[in-house]
Order: sequence, then structure tokens, then C-alpha cells
Amino acid sequence: MKQLLTLVATLALVGTAFAAEIGKPAPDFTGTDIRGRTIKLADFKGRIVVLEASNSDCPFCANHLKTGALQELQKEFTAKGVVWLMVNSVNPRNSSHRTPEQARAEWDQEKLNATAWIDDSSGAIGKLYGLKTTPHMIVIAADGTVAYSGALDDRPAPFGDPRTARNYVREAVTQLLAGQRVLVSQTKPYGCAVHY
Amino acid sequence: MRCLLKLLAVLFLGCFTASALTAHTQAKLILSLQTARAGDSVLAGIHLQMEPAWHTYWKNSGASGIPTTLAWTLPAGIKAGPVQWPVPEKLPPDDFTTYVYQNEVVLLVPLQISPEAKAGVAGIKVHVEWLECKEACVPGSADLLASLNLGAEQAASPDAPLLAAWQKRLPESSSKLVAHAAWEKPAVGDLRPLVIEWSGAGIGEPDFYPLGSDAFEVQGETERLPSSGGLFRLRKQVKRFSGDWPAKISGLLVLKTPTGIVAYETDLSSAPLAPVANPSATPESAVSLTQPLWKMLLYAFLGGLILNAMPCVLPVIALKILGFVREARSDPRHVRKLGWVYALGVLVSFLSLAGVVIAVQAAGHKAGWGMQFSNAQFTVGLTVLVTLVALNLFGLFEVNPGSRVLGTAGNLAAQSGLAGAFFNGVLATILATPCTAPFLGAALGFAFAQPVPIILLMFAAVAAGLAAPYVVLSWKPAWLRFLPKPGAWMEHFKIAMGFPMLATALWLLNLTTIHYGDRSWWLGIFLVMMSAAVWIWGAFVQRGSAGRGLAVVIVILCMAGGYFGILEAQLHWRSSPDSASDTRVLAHAPEGYAWSPWSPEAVAKARAEGRPVVVDFTAKWCLTCNLSVAPAFASKSVVEQLQKLNAVALVADYTLYPAQITAELARFQRSGVPLVLIYPRDFAKPPEVLPEPLPYPASYIPVLLGALERAVR
Repeated sequence: MKQLLTLVATLALVGTAFAAEIGKPAPDFTGTDIRGRTIKLADFKGRIVVLEASNSDCPFCANHLKTGALQELQKEFTAKGVVWLMVNSVNPRNSSHRTPEQARAEWDQEKLNATAWIDDSSGAIGKLYGLKTTPHMIVIAADGTVAYSGALDDRPAPFGDPRTARNYVREAVTQLLAGQRVLVSQTKPYGCAVHY
Repeated sequence: MRCLLKLLAVLFLGCFTASALTAHTQAKLILSLQTARAGDSVLAGIHLQMEPAWHTYWKNSGASGIPTTLAWTLPAGIKAGPVQWPVPEKLPPDDFTTYVYQNEVVLLVPLQISPEAKAGVAGIKVHVEWLECKEACVPGSADLLASLNLGAEQAASPDAPLLAAWQKRLPESSSKLVAHAAWEKPAVGDLRPLVIEWSGAGIGEPDFYPLGSDAFEVQGETERLPSSGGLFRLRKQVKRFSGDWPAKISGLLVLKTPTGIVAYETDLSSAPLAPVANPSATPESAVSLTQPLWKMLLYAFLGGLILNAMPCVLPVIALKILGFVREARSDPRHVRKLGWVYALGVLVSFLSLAGVVIAVQAAGHKAGWGMQFSNAQFTVGLTVLVTLVALNLFGLFEVNPGSRVLGTAGNLAAQSGLAGAFFNGVLATILATPCTAPFLGAALGFAFAQPVPIILLMFAAVAAGLAAPYVVLSWKPAWLRFLPKPGAWMEHFKIAMGFPMLATALWLLNLTTIHYGDRSWWLGIFLVMMSAAVWIWGAFVQRGSAGRGLAVVIVILCMAGGYFGILEAQLHWRSSPDSASDTRVLAHAPEGYAWSPWSPEAVAKARAEGRPVVVDFTAKWCLTCNLSVAPAFASKSVVEQLQKLNAVALVADYTLYPAQITAELARFQRSGVPLVLIYPRDFAKPPEVLPEPLPYPASYIPVLLGALERAVR
């Protein structure tokens, strides 16, 4: 009995960890963005999609925004036809939660260049993909499989210039756009915990 | 220009302060000495005091956060060593584990002053960066300064006690324990289970806090695996990000005891566990350690069946059969019921034994099969009981269920058959325990390492085997035909059965010498006195007519005199000498060859000399050991072979359950004796575990000879 429970627990753990399993099809989701639009992953079939678990109150994310490095990355990719979805899974009771109005205000303030900011306060998308930290990045290839899951770059620090770090997301997207295999497909994500 | 430089220097220095306060944390740099001499070592501490419920991170922050970092600016002649991290706290949840310091921490750094350092005031500066979190996270940083006087004498600073207190919270070195890690199975996706085991003293909850890595992550969940005393086993899942599965995993082995937390730094090499039994051995060798469950249950059942034939059980069969014969003349349904109730009695006793084993296993103590007999008083009581049963069988007195003699409730008369059947079952179980029969050894060894439900199944299977003959006979009354008809032979049969009982009582008496040494002959005297009293009771009180009162008085005087005069005064039966955990008792070394006491060092020394090693795990109370193993080792052909091979023969005496031997038996998945190991001449090969001996010495000689021959191949 105990072994059965262990097996179930392991599967559950594996399940949550591998909702975004490298090489497997990315699970479909439906979410609402801060402007009230319905966003479905299936809408972006045939395009590269980047999911960013974000929370601007987390010093790691805040540093990326403050230095402008994240906005530059978003602009660079959306210009190439990549879909960049910010997924904010903070639960409504948490102090870091942003209502859609607050989120829109922040969008303008930070001059974000993503395709959309999905309000995932229910945590559904975050848990579906096993998003653990902010920032936690998922890159989905054009054929719908998960190509990369992990850290934004190799420099977990809440200060300094992220442009000097090795950016795994840029590498993955560049390789996908060139039709090559993603070499580094998995790293350990850093950051603050996602406040489900 | 110089003024400008001086100004800049002052400004620069001014940035460094003794303590800094950020949003939720106060940081301070403290030193163990305020004055030091050249060549001294000074302990520096970064003292972080967080607001309640705020925490900073360990050198592996876990799923989120970042560890505190230090950057030293030291004057010439002073060097800083590596940071020493006190044992952190593990924060749940399992799928998002972090390793933190709540509220307060002092990170310790040893500073070494060179012997050429010049006297004066040295400014010790450090730049600290950390992340403080409660729910949200805030990065913090501080530039801290402390002054150290370099002079002719050493003076402690007022912060020295604080540093000493935090030094106690550093993990200990792993040279104090023996730890192994092994991959349990191939990976499932990117997740692979790792089994970590280590032996150490203490009782508590074990855990493993891993150090961080880019290539893999040890998950937070810890599963405790069953193990016997002194051994901690747990399973951790490891997630791989890139590269091969790690060959080395470093971290802290942690034990949470009721009094605090103990941790050891360790570097685990994660090799697959080397097989203990040589898999290339011939089929009749080692009982494999990974038998399928059904086979083990079958062995348990067979073991239970065979237990019926053991000298410690056989006399009780006499009681069973007698009762059965008596009942056979009455209602067959009642007979069947009796059969089931007997089986129920056996089952309940075994399951309650299993319950005790599970409870003891859970309490982390060493639980070995047969351990009840280490209780001296239990042995004495059982000796007395068995003697009484023998006397009853001889006809010296009667035990009439339902009569005033038993003196229990009135309705016992109606239920006497069932109650008697039930307690017959219980008695059979109690007497069976020290006879770890063939098949039972491996089955039980398997069971003790298993989780709770499997232990219960194993015990139930043994119970089924033990009760099987009676149940079968009670269901097939037709086979009663094969039972002889009642007659005078019954009385002869009953008396004859008293003799195996007496033999059992003598064997138990022999066991009491373990606890009382030479004093146990007083127990023998007591038994004689008791027999006399019992005869008087039976002849004059039960069957007599006149002089009953006087007889009762005499019996009481006899028993009282026996108890106080002998058991208390001479035997001191309630206080046995302390069981020595001395593994050097050589009481039962087989004859004919030079046997030495076993110890791991002796084994290692012998193997280093290139000699094969024979280890005989035995105990005074182990029947099979004394009937089979010892005579086999003493036989001419085996002794000749031992001499020819120049083998080292070691005997491990388990009579008093020394902890070291319990742990060694557990390594081979056994819970009791006998166990015979043969270490081959080739140092790299693992030892061969010989199969359980049958209780006939002749059968074991070829097994030994074969194994010895293989040891030098």
C-alpha cells in the first residue's frame, strides 16, 4: 500500500514537474489577459511561443525590468514573429497581486513589449506548466513541443546588468528560428517562489 | 592632490560601517578577538538579524532565493578562509523546498593572520549581499567594517561567546559515520530515485540537505525507508538538467532528534549498490535477497508448518491432539469451530507479535526475532509454565477448564472448548519464537526490511502454516478415522508427551544461564520444590478427601518458601546481570579449529592477508546453530579443508544481542541467526551468504565444503 502511495506521489510530482516536459507537446491553455482578451495557446499554432512567469515585485524580475533588459528582449523577439506571453500567477490575496487596471498601469510604466500579459491569478496555467519561480521561462517551438524550460539566464542576481549574462532564452529562440535543435533545453530556474 | 586622495579615502572608508540596517535585516561584522598577535587565527562572523518570519538563505538556497555572498577587503597579511555555514532549516512545501535561516544567523569565516603582520589597527572590511524573504523578497547589501588590533597579546572580544555558540551549530565532519548512496532504479524521464543510507547513533528523523548544482537538483521530498537499528535509509528524487547522472552528490546528512538537530557534511558517491550475494554462484548457494513476495510468503507458510515439528512446539501439539481426540466424540461442527478458533489464536498471537515488531521498528530500536527471550524474567516464567504443563501431562495434577481451579467466569464452562482452543494457539506461538527454523530465517529477514503491510502478511503466513494441521483435521472429520480410538493408550500417550515438555523446560532452564549464570541451578531447585507442591495439590487437594485443609497449607508454604527463599533470595530473579554487549564471548566456537571473535576489523585484516574468511553468526539459544552448524564446522572434512585453505574462522556470538552484530545481520537482510558467510580469497569479491541449514548436521557439511572450494577458485 505504501509503495502504491509512493508511486502515486511520485507520479504526481513527476506530473507537476513534467507538465512542461522537454520534447513533449505543450499543454493547451486558455487565459484572459489584462485587457480582457481571451488568449489560447492553440491560437498561436505554427509560431514560437515564450512563456514568462513574472512578478514585478520579485527583485529578480524587478532588476530585469529596471535595467530594461527584459523589454529589449521582448521587443527583439516579437519583431521576429515570436509570441511572448507574460503569465502572472500571483493569487488575489497576495500583496503582489495586480488587478487588471494596476497591471495596465504597470505595463505603460515599464514600457513592456510582450504580446500579452495573462492574468493567471487562479494559478491554472502556472501549475499546468509547473512554473516554480519568477522568472521561469518556457519556450515552445513552432510545432507545439516544449523546447526549453528553466532560467532566463545564468546569472541569478537581483542587481547588475542582465545583458552581460548568458541568456538561455535568446539562445533557444535563435536556434529555433534557424531551424536547429535547442542545445540547452533545461536549466534550474531561479527567482522568488510563485505565489499561488 | 594628496588632500583629495585623503578625502576620497575617508569617504570610501565611511561607506563601511560596523553594522547596517536594511529593510528587514540588521547586518553586523563581529570578530572573536579584539586584539590578536601575528600568526593567530581569528574567527569572523557575519551576524544577520532578520525581523520575525523573515529569512535569508543557505549556501544552497533550494528552489528559490539566493545564498548570501561575501566579498572581503583585507589588509596585507590577513587572509580569509571559506565560509562556514551553520545547519539551515528546511522550509516546506516538498515540491518547493528552500533551505533558510529564520530570524538570525551568524556565518563564520576563519581569518588567518600571517606571522609577518605588523602591529597596528587592521580594518577588516566585507561587502555582503543577501536576499531576505518572508512572502515577498527584498535584496539587501551592506558594507561592514570591524577593527582588529594587532599587538603582542591576545584579547577576546565581547562577541566571542556568540561566535562560539554558532560554531556549535556547524555541521560535523562525516568521518564520524559511514554513508552510502546508490541509484535505486533507472531514470523515469529526468527524475531518478537515489537511496542514501548511513549508520549512526541516535534516534530521530533522518534527512539529506543537498548542495546546489547547475546540472541537477535533489528534490525536497524525503521518503524514509524501513531499516533496522543503527541504520538510516532514505530515498530522494534527483532531477537532471544536463549532462550525465551525477557520480558525486554533496550535502548534509541530517538527523532531527527530540533534543535538536545533528548534521554531517558528506560527499556521497552514487554508485549502484554492489550485490552482497555473488550472483555467479551455483544455484544451491545464497538464498537470494530479492525473492518475489509469493515465494517469501510460501517460505513463511512452510516455516510455520515445520515449526510444528520443532522441539519447542511439538509438546504443545500433544495438548492440541489430546483436546482434539476428546472432542472428536462430540459434534463435528464444534470440532471444526475449535479448529478455526485454534488457528485464530495462533493468528492473533502472530499478528500481535507483528504489531510489537512494527511498533519497535517504528521506535527505531533493533527488533530481532527471538528477542523476547532476552527478557530474563520472561524466560524464568516460561520455564515454570512449561514444567507445570509437563507435570500436568504426567498426571500429577489436573487442569479442568471451567472448574474452580481455573477460577475464571462461570460461562467458561460453556466456552471452555473455544477458550481452550484459542489459548492453545497462543501458547504454540509463544513457544515457537526462539526456533528460527529453516526457510523462516530468510523469510523473516526479508520481512523486517519491508513496510508494515508486508510484515503483517508474513506473520499471517507463518501463523497459517503453524495452524494448518489442526484446521485440516478439524475440517476433514473423515480423517479422524485415521486417529486411533480412545482407550488406555490415551493416558500413556499423555504421559509420553510430558517428556518432550520436560525437555523443553530443561532447554529453557539452559537459556536462563545466559542471564543468571551459575545461579540458575537455583531455578532447578525451585522447580523440584514446585513439583513436590504440585503433587501434594493434585493428590491431596484435588483427589483427596480427608486432610485437605492441611494439604493446602503445606502447598502454600512450599510455594511461598520456594518463591521467597529461592527465587528472590538465591536467584534474585528480578535482577539479572546486565547483558553485556560483548562480542568477544566465545562460548560456542565449534571445535577442531582455531576460532576467533568476529569484528569488522578482523575480517578486513584477514582479507588484506589474502586469506578466505569464514564467519559463523551463532547464539547459545539458537537450536539450528547448535544442532547443525557447529557440528558441521567441527566435522573432520570441514576442519581439514579450513586448515588446507589457511582460512580465518570468526565466530559472532549473538546470544546477548550485541548491537554491532544486529547491524551486521541487517546488512544481509537477516534478523536472527544462524548466518554463515564465506569471504573469498579474492579481495574484490563480495562474501557468499550460505543457505539456511536444516537441523541435521550431516546435511550442512557438503554445503560448507562446496562454499569453501568456491572461495579459493
